[in-house]
Amino acid sequence: MTDLLNIDDLHLEFHTYDGVAKVLAGVNLTMRRGDVLGLVGETGCGKSMTALAVPRLIPMPPGLITAGRVTFNGEDILSKSESEMEAFRARHVGMIFQDPVTNLNPLFTIREQLVDAVLYQQAQGKKVPGRWRGFRPSVRQLRKDAHARAVELMRLTGIPDGDKRIYDYPHQFSGGMRQRVLIAMALAGDPDLLIADEPTTALDVTIQAQILRLIRSLVAQLGLTVLLITHNLGVVARSCERVAVMYAGRVIEESPVRELFRNPKHPYTRGLIAAVPQKDVARGGLEGIPGMIPNLINAPSGCRFHPRCEYVMEACRTRVPPAIDVGAGHSASCFLYPEDA
Amino acid sequence: MSHLLEVDNLKKHFPVHGGLFNRKTADFRAVDGVSFDLQEGKTLGLVGESGSGKTTVGKCILRLMEPSAGQILYDGADITHLKQRDLRRLRSEIQMIYQAPAASLNGRMTVGQIIGEPLWIHESLKGDAARDRVLELMNVVGLKEEHYYRYPHEFSGGQQQRIGIARALAVQPRLIVLDEPTSALDVSVQAQILNLLQDLQDQFDLTYLFISHDLGVVRYMCDEVALLYLGKIVEVAATEVIFESPKHPYTQALISAIPEPDPDTQREEIILRGELSSSQSPLTRRGGFRGGDGGCPFAPRCHAEKLAQCETVPPPLLEVERAHQVACHLHPQLDKA
Repeated sequence: MTDLLNIDDLHLEFHTYDGVAKVLAGVNLTMRRGDVLGLVGETGCGKSMTALAVPRLIPMPPGLITAGRVTFNGEDILSKSESEMEAFRARHVGMIFQDPVTNLNPLFTIREQLVDAVLYQQAQGKKVPGRWRGFRPSVRQLRKDAHARAVELMRLTGIPDGDKRIYDYPHQFSGGMRQRVLIAMALAGDPDLLIADEPTTALDVTIQAQILRLIRSLVAQLGLTVLLITHNLGVVARSCERVAVMYAGRVIEESPVRELFRNPKHPYTRGLIAAVPQKDVARGGLEGIPGMIPNLINAPSGCRFHPRCEYVMEACRTRVPPAIDVGAGHSASCFLYPEDA
Repeated sequence: MSHLLEVDNLKKHFPVHGGLFNRKTADFRAVDGVSFDLQEGKTLGLVGESGSGKTTVGKCILRLMEPSAGQILYDGADITHLKQRDLRRLRSEIQMIYQAPAASLNGRMTVGQIIGEPLWIHESLKGDAARDRVLELMNVVGLKEEHYYRYPHEFSGGQQQRIGIARALAVQPRLIVLDEPTSALDVSVQAQILNLLQDLQDQFDLTYLFISHDLGVVRYMCDEVALLYLGKIVEVAATEVIFESPKHPYTQALISAIPEPDPDTQREEIILRGELSSSQSPLTRRGGFRGGDGGCPFAPRCHAEKLAQCETVPPPLLEVERAHQVACHLHPQLDKA
């Protein structure tokens, strides 16, 4: 049992005026320490919600977890109290988001924001000292150490002249540099798990390449475990070892990267790969997936992909396909494959 | 002379104000001498990162922005200085499709009104005649009849983009400027829209100027590709040539940075230093990545071995091979012996 993260049959609902949206309908996901797992899917498939459920950042209400377990390092996360969660987030999980502009406060310098992050993570990360804590460093000393740590983090994330640029405001940084600042902030508490939610979507390709390389080098240097959420299959192919494909609130296929692209099993995964314009696709040869993503308030019964699937069978309409092992660490939730092979 | 569109040395400079009394202190050169030709029935891809000036070029061609200098010939006629009255006729020939489908559709109008408005403006069509044309257009782009009275917010992104396409087609244009038409869409929907655009091109004999930052999409859609860097074209060639044998160091880096959905594609990844300067840094020189005014704009980020003139002489766009133009000192002009 060396699983770092285990999400087991997670169900999440949102209560809206139109009805109950079943956003996650039984998500299963396992991550080992040191894994780089790509979570892929289209808009609204629940990939961000799955990731936010780990540090329990989903607003409740309107959200409601109706079933399932999330365990991190063997600890049950869903039963923790809010103050325990705060310490948990500070110590174990770092997150970066898609939009580096809105996640930095424009009124404060990078120094103020980064030092704050470091101090907070330290305060949360330490065991709360008892009454007799003996020597306690002065606030000034703490801030000085935090400053040094902040500069160190900026160096680690490849920001040139960190010791000078730390006094700059966010608007003085370019998009790629802001994303680096956010990565530095996420690393402040020395987390076990880095959740990167579409970290390169807002960036240009050359900058995307820089950021992906940075993430890979951090994995190698710090032994991070990374959950990389993206809609871009190319990004996954380049930076992950394993991939989980989500569709309408479920993981429908999971596999090592190479195996997934060589040998996609689920019809949705095949459609998704065929929809990306690649090198040898002739004019008119691109295939989209017919139809569109289902409404989760009135989600299709059985396999949620069945209305768009060309191989649809009777069983697909009534039963939810379980994850079926198709060999080589590869599983697909589809009745096309024999259930107990 | 089968060029539908010829752009010659197009420039668009924006004044920058500052200092005492907010005087004009500098020019921000968004587009700085761009020239290209577009043949009828073909698709030219205009590729660049954000801030490279690709959208500005598109807007100048429609005269939604006034070019600062240069000449735009449409069907042999100079449209750079057309008067407002003649512009209206021009715009029934050239149409634009925008990136954000939701923002480019009026939320207070029904789909029928949105697609019908150009018909009324350009052809004075109204009533049943207009309605029939609108329904026909909706059918062409794959919308259903019952969508006529719906509002844009009731549609998904892909459907909204179909509405935008129908609106552009309403006036039977010959040239369509597509400004990142699929970058807001998911891949499976993107594939549908790209296929639709290709079908429409075959059906109506359209010419496309396809503006995009996504090289994969460009490779699929375009006959020719022009790469922009900081308002200048750095390389133009047929699509296969650009992807098979890119010459300019920037093109090479850009192509190497496309994440291919294939883990076995072993490609040497060229990681560029720094970033394209933002709209501010070319003035403040803060990032220092704009390069001297004299030299090649790409020189500060260039990974190739630099020559002395890279820092001092701006490289002209030269034909280095047949129908392959590159603006780089490392590639001398083809001998036309």
